Amino acid sequence: MTELSTLARPYAQAAFKRAKEVGAAGVWSDSLAFLAQVMQDKALQAVVDNPRVEKERLLQLMLDISKGYIHDEAENFLKILIENDRLNLIPQISVLYEQYKAEDEGYINVDLYSAYPITKDEQKKFVTSLEKLLSKKVNATVKVDKTLIGGIVAKAGDKVIDSSISGQLHQLEKRL
Amino acid sequence: MQLNPSEISDLIKKKIESFDISVEAHTEGTVVSVTDGIVRVHGLSEAMQGEMLEFPGGSYGMALNLERDSVGVVMLGAYQHITEGDTVKCTGRILEVPVGEALLGRVVDALGNPIDGKGSIETEHSSPIEKIAPGVIARQSVDQPVQIGLKSIDSMIPVGRGQRELIIGDRQTGKTAIAVDAIINQKGTGIKCIYVAIGQKRSSIANVVRKLEEHGAMEHTIIVSASASESAALQFIAPYTGCAMGEYFRDIGEDALIIYDDLTKQAWAYRQISLLLRRPPGREAYPGDVFYIHSRLLERAARINAAEVEKLTDGKVKGKTGSLTALPIIETQGGDVSAFVPTNVISITDGQIFLETDLFNAGIRPAVNAGLSVSRVGGAAQTKIIKKLGGGIRLDLAQYRELAAFAQFASDLDESTRKQIERGQRVTELMKQDQYSPMSVAEMAVSLYAANEGFLDDLEVEKVRDFESALQAYMKSEHADLLAKINETGDYNADIEKGIRSAIEDFIKNNTW
Repeated sequence: MTELSTLARPYAQAAFKRAKEVGAAGVWSDSLAFLAQVMQDKALQAVVDNPRVEKERLLQLMLDISKGYIHDEAENFLKILIENDRLNLIPQISVLYEQYKAEDEGYINVDLYSAYPITKDEQKKFVTSLEKLLSKKVNATVKVDKTLIGGIVAKAGDKVIDSSISGQLHQLEKRL
Repeated sequence: MQLNPSEISDLIKKKIESFDISVEAHTEGTVVSVTDGIVRVHGLSEAMQGEMLEFPGGSYGMALNLERDSVGVVMLGAYQHITEGDTVKCTGRILEVPVGEALLGRVVDALGNPIDGKGSIETEHSSPIEKIAPGVIARQSVDQPVQIGLKSIDSMIPVGRGQRELIIGDRQTGKTAIAVDAIINQKGTGIKCIYVAIGQKRSSIANVVRKLEEHGAMEHTIIVSASASESAALQFIAPYTGCAMGEYFRDIGEDALIIYDDLTKQAWAYRQISLLLRRPPGREAYPGDVFYIHSRLLERAARINAAEVEKLTDGKVKGKTGSLTALPIIETQGGDVSAFVPTNVISITDGQIFLETDLFNAGIRPAVNAGLSVSRVGGAAQTKIIKKLGGGIRLDLAQYRELAAFAQFASDLDESTRKQIERGQRVTELMKQDQYSPMSVAEMAVSLYAANEGFLDDLEVEKVRDFESALQAYMKSEHADLLAKINETGDYNADIEKGIRSAIEDFIKNNTW
């Protein structure tokens, strides 16, 4: 089965290229984020999935919902998606778009999981060392996860740096 | 002697103190779907082909399909506890197994874990299961024999060290029996044996182990078992595991013999995995690279020259060549050797031993069809004495086959034809051999000499085997030194010929034949 990412990639790439051309990366980012939010709604999902709803009606519905929240070119984007029956890909498109934007602007989103809340200073220290390690600007989001017992886990995309106590216990378990 | 509780906890405390706590960096992915032993993982952009991936619960899988946004992983072992959303970690290691002398005498599974209940295997060496075969310059041509111990094979279809000889036949024709006899006959020769059982009944594997133990052959043998109830992934990688273990001996200048029993079941397992991974099916529903799985396996069975051995051992072993001889087994359906997988493997190996059901049922066991069997290495891999004496045997049987249709009117034929038919019948009878009774070079030489020089022509066909066993017993008791001399050098000169002739003439004179 082809992954959603694979299907969403051409759309995300097209959107990003267009955004770069006109220098509207941030505007596109907001529009896509809004649309992704909208697609989460269960009632809307039901309408989108319903094959008996005609495309024009669906397009009208989407435009009415998003009027004022998305820019003009995003409306065209919506039209294309509805024509190709790919509305369901919007969340994935938004995610991929953010990745492209992050790579282009040279920063990376990192999730920091910590067992206890950390102070702003400590966060700054982590961010600086991570930036040195990954050689990109780091945009850190901190989350508290008690199951780590202690220490920090940093996740950037696929890569994981684990210096938590639960991770070390796991290593010990394997060795013993 | 027992450790008391405090000692044990002290040991553990020491281990903990010396435990090197390092920050771990790895790549992770998430399980998207689990079906029939195949797991789809999202992410893992840095997975390598054939890499071991770690799943929760200590299970491992092998990354086989690297797609754009996901990885197709085949599970090695239990997968019932894996659910969607589980985290998968890269280990950075291509699948590898333990190798070394410590494995001799043990029964292991396809991943190298011992399953014979004799404790864990202590070895420092491990080797990836997929390796590139030795290059052209590193090889040396095959000229040393591997004595299988069966008259029909060693005289007419000889196998050399570093050769690949296919054993092909229908079910229940004695393929495994030839393999087991070959292993038993390697006792004391310094050749290490590896028996890879793929997709077989556990009772059959247990039988083989028992028979090898009875005949004292387990100490130079490793048994790799991927029985029928194990997953297709393990059945698929078992031959590569065995090959990695054999390559260890090849690369240190020793000789090894590996038997794959059988490659048909490995092809079936690979077909199952490929179809589940949604790879396009080809002829007979096999995937497109079913030839490659066998060719890359069998190419690793080779003889490498001394320079290469020296390079691989960093100069520790000089002047010795290493070899890995392969005896793959293929099971045909209804004698159809022109099916897909049999033709593939026939074209890869350096010869084949054909076993036929008709011959087996007619009582000719080993049921070798001497006409269709061939060894592309031939005489270069025979001891001098067997080469001299075996040529006559092959000729007699070839002539007999031509005239076999006339055997029914033996009385109405001319003298020479009748003589040929009778000689052929006696030689065919001589080629029969009991299971688990491999013969040494000297014993074989005596039997072949007796056949060539016409000592059997006066006997009735039914009496030939009794004559042979009595002759062998006589030679062992009265002329053991002559046998020892032949076994030592394998030479054939006028002296030895005189020795054998006078011994046989004595035997006939003194016994009621």
